Amino acid sequence: MIRWTKIKAIATFEFLAAVKRPGYLITTFGMPLFMAIYAGVVALPAYYAQKKDAELSVWGVIDESSLLALKGDAEPSADRLPETLRKTLDAAGQRGAIARAIASEHFVFRPFEDEAAARAAIAARSVKGYFVVPREYLATGQVNNFQADDINLSSSDARRAFERLLRERLVAGLADGRVAARILNPIQANRSFDVTKTGEVREGGRAASAVRIVVPLAFMVLFLMSVLMTSGYLIQGTATEKENKVVEVLLASANPDEILGGKLLGLGGAGLLQVGVWLSILTVAGLGIVPLILSSRVEFPWISLVLAVPLFLLGFLFFGSLMLGTGSLGSNMRESQQLAMMWSLTAALPMMMMGLLIRDPHGVASRVMTWIPITAAPLVMLRASLDPGYLAWWEILGTFVVLAASSWIALRIGGRLFRVGLLSSGSRPSFREIIRQARL
Amino acid sequence: MIILSFDHLSKRYGQTTALDDVSFDVPNGEIFGLLGPNGAGKSTLIRILMDIIRADSGEVRVFGESRRRDHLDRLGYLPEERGLYTKQTVIDVMMYFGSLKGLDRADARRRALEWLEKLELPQVATWKIDRLSKGMGQKVQIASVLLSDPELCVLDEPTTGLDPVNVRLVQDLLIERRSHGRTTILSTHHMNQVETLCDRVALINKGRLMVYGEVDEVRRRYSLPEVFVRAHGPLPPVPQVASATESEAGTWRLRLADGAPPADVLTALVSRGAVIDRFEPALAPMEDIFLRVVGEAHV
Repeated sequence: MIRWTKIKAIATFEFLAAVKRPGYLITTFGMPLFMAIYAGVVALPAYYAQKKDAELSVWGVIDESSLLALKGDAEPSADRLPETLRKTLDAAGQRGAIARAIASEHFVFRPFEDEAAARAAIAARSVKGYFVVPREYLATGQVNNFQADDINLSSSDARRAFERLLRERLVAGLADGRVAARILNPIQANRSFDVTKTGEVREGGRAASAVRIVVPLAFMVLFLMSVLMTSGYLIQGTATEKENKVVEVLLASANPDEILGGKLLGLGGAGLLQVGVWLSILTVAGLGIVPLILSSRVEFPWISLVLAVPLFLLGFLFFGSLMLGTGSLGSNMRESQQLAMMWSLTAALPMMMMGLLIRDPHGVASRVMTWIPITAAPLVMLRASLDPGYLAWWEILGTFVVLAASSWIALRIGGRLFRVGLLSSGSRPSFREIIRQARL
Repeated sequence: MIILSFDHLSKRYGQTTALDDVSFDVPNGEIFGLLGPNGAGKSTLIRILMDIIRADSGEVRVFGESRRRDHLDRLGYLPEERGLYTKQTVIDVMMYFGSLKGLDRADARRRALEWLEKLELPQVATWKIDRLSKGMGQKVQIASVLLSDPELCVLDEPTTGLDPVNVRLVQDLLIERRSHGRTTILSTHHMNQVETLCDRVALINKGRLMVYGEVDEVRRRYSLPEVFVRAHGPLPPVPQVASATESEAGTWRLRLADGAPPADVLTALVSRGAVIDRFEPALAPMEDIFLRVVGEAHV
C-alpha cells in the first residue's frame, strides 16, 4: 500500500533540498547567462564582418568588350528575397533583417580607362579591386579580377555581384522587361505543399518540415536532459544517504516504493523546474520567433504538443525508477553512475536512430519502437509531429497503456533494487544477493 | 498490557542464522533492555520490527495487532549506525523526520524548536548539520526521533559518545517518557544503564533468546546464595550461614546454606544479638550475567 503523505513529505524535502543547493542555482541561472555570453562572443566577429560588408564596396571595371556600356558607377539590382520570406519577416516585425540582408549586397562598380589607373586606385585603396572583361569575352567567358593583397574574404561576393551586373547588361537588349526579369529571377515566389499518404494536402517546404522535426527533437533533447540531470541528483542523494547512514531512519518510516516515488517527484520536480526556467528564458529571449512561426502559415503539430506532457511524465517515471533502482546498487558515486548509464544510453536510442525514423516515420522500425517502453514516448511524438493522420488512435492509447504499465512495473522493480541497494553498504551486492533480497 | 510481541521469529542470511525461534513480549510503559554481544541478532530483530527486512517465519505484533506499515508512524527508531543530512539545517532535518512520522510541517517545526530548547540547543536550529559537534549531532538525532512522541521507541546505543552530563540528560528523557506511559527499547552495552534504567531485559546470543525477565528477577536468578551484612561487632554463628567473609571492617559477605531464605538468616542473626545496620541479598551485576551467558555459549 502506497501512502501519499509519505511520498509528499519525501518529495517536499528532496525538492527544497535540491533547489537550495548552490550548484543547482548556479546551473539554473548561470547556464543561460553563460550561453548568452558565449553567443555574444561568437556573434561579435560575425557582427563586425557583416557591418563591414554593409559598407560601400567599390570595385573597378575595365570593359574591353564594351558589352557593359558603363557610364559611371553602376550597382547591380540586389538579389530579391523570396516573397514568402519577405512577407514573413515583415509580419514578424523583422524589417531590420530585410534591410540587413539587402545592405550586405552593397557593391558599386566603377569604370576605369585602363589597368594602370585601376592599379593606382587599388594602391591608394580607393577601390578594393577591379575586373577585366576582355575583348573576346563573349566567345570565351573569361573574366580576370585583381584585388588588393590584403586578406580579403569578400572577393567571391564581389564576383557574384559582378556576375549579376553582367547578366543584367547582357539580357537588357535581348528581351522585353518581363522576360528579362524572369531570366534573371525565374522563380520569384514559391509555395510548397506536401501530400500525405492519406492524401491530405498540407503546407510543405523547409519551414514546415523544420517545425515538424524540431518539435519531437526538442522533446527528445529536453527529455534526455531532464532524465540525465534528475538521475544525477537522485544518485547523488542516495549515495549521500548511504554515506550519512540516514537510510535506516528513512526505511523505518516509509517503504522503498514510497521513498523512490518521493525522490522521483521531488528531484524530478527540481529537474523540470530547471528545464522550465531555461525554456522560459529562451522564450523571452526569442519572442520574435513566435510571430514568425504564426505568420509562416506552417501547420504546427498541436497534437504532439498535447501528448508531450503526459508522455514526458510517464517516460520520466519509467526511466527515473530504473535509473535510481540500478544506481542505488553501486557502492560509491562513480559505480552508481556507471550502473545508471545503461538507461541513459537506451533513452538516447531514438535520437541515435533519428535519420532512419524521419525517413520512414510509419515504417516497421517506427511501429515496433512505438510499443517498446524505452522508445515509446519519443516515437509517438515523432510520428504525431511528422504525419499525425497516419498515427491511429489505438496506437496512441496502446502506447499510454504500455507506458503506464511499464512505469508501474519499473517503479516496483526500481523499489526492490532500491531496497537492496540501500541496505547493502560497502561492496556492491552480488546478483544472487540482489535476487534473494529483492524477494523480501 | 503488552505493546510488542515477537512470536517465534526466525531469520537466516544464507548459511548464517541471525534469529532462531525468538519469542518474547515487551510490556507497555517500560524501559526494556535489549542486550547481546555484537552480531547476536539484535539489529536483525529491530530491523524486522521496523519492517526494513522481513522474517523468514514468525510474527511481530504491536499494539495488540499484527504489525502493519501504518503502525510505523507510532514507532520511533534511532539506529546504531546513524547520521544526518550534513548540508541541511538542523530545523529542516528535524522537520523532515517529523513529517515522515505523519506530523504536518507547522507542527513538526513547533515540536522541533521545543525539543531543541529541552536539549539546551536552541541556538543550533539554523545551523548546518556539519557545523555541529559530535555530541550536539547525537542529541539532535535523539530529538528527531522523539519529537513525534512515539508510543514505542527503539534506541540503539543512544548515549555512545556523550559526556556524563549529556548521558544523564538522555537518561532523564527516557525516565520522563516512562512516566508518560511511553515504551522504550534500549539496546546498549552499558550494563550500569541497564541496572539503573531498565525494568525488563532480553539477552540474545547467536540468534537465540538466552535471558528474559524483570531486571531484579534476572539478577536474583543469576546470583549466588549470598547476602551483604554491615554490623556492629562480631557476627554470631547461625546454622543458615555456610561461611562468612569479612571484606572490610564490619562488612560481611555471607554464603547461605543450601535452601536457606535470606529472611530466615536475618531473623536468626538478630535473635542471637547481632546489631545489623545493613542487610541485602547480593544481586549479580548485569555485566557478570552478560559475561556468564555469552561466555557459556562460546564454550
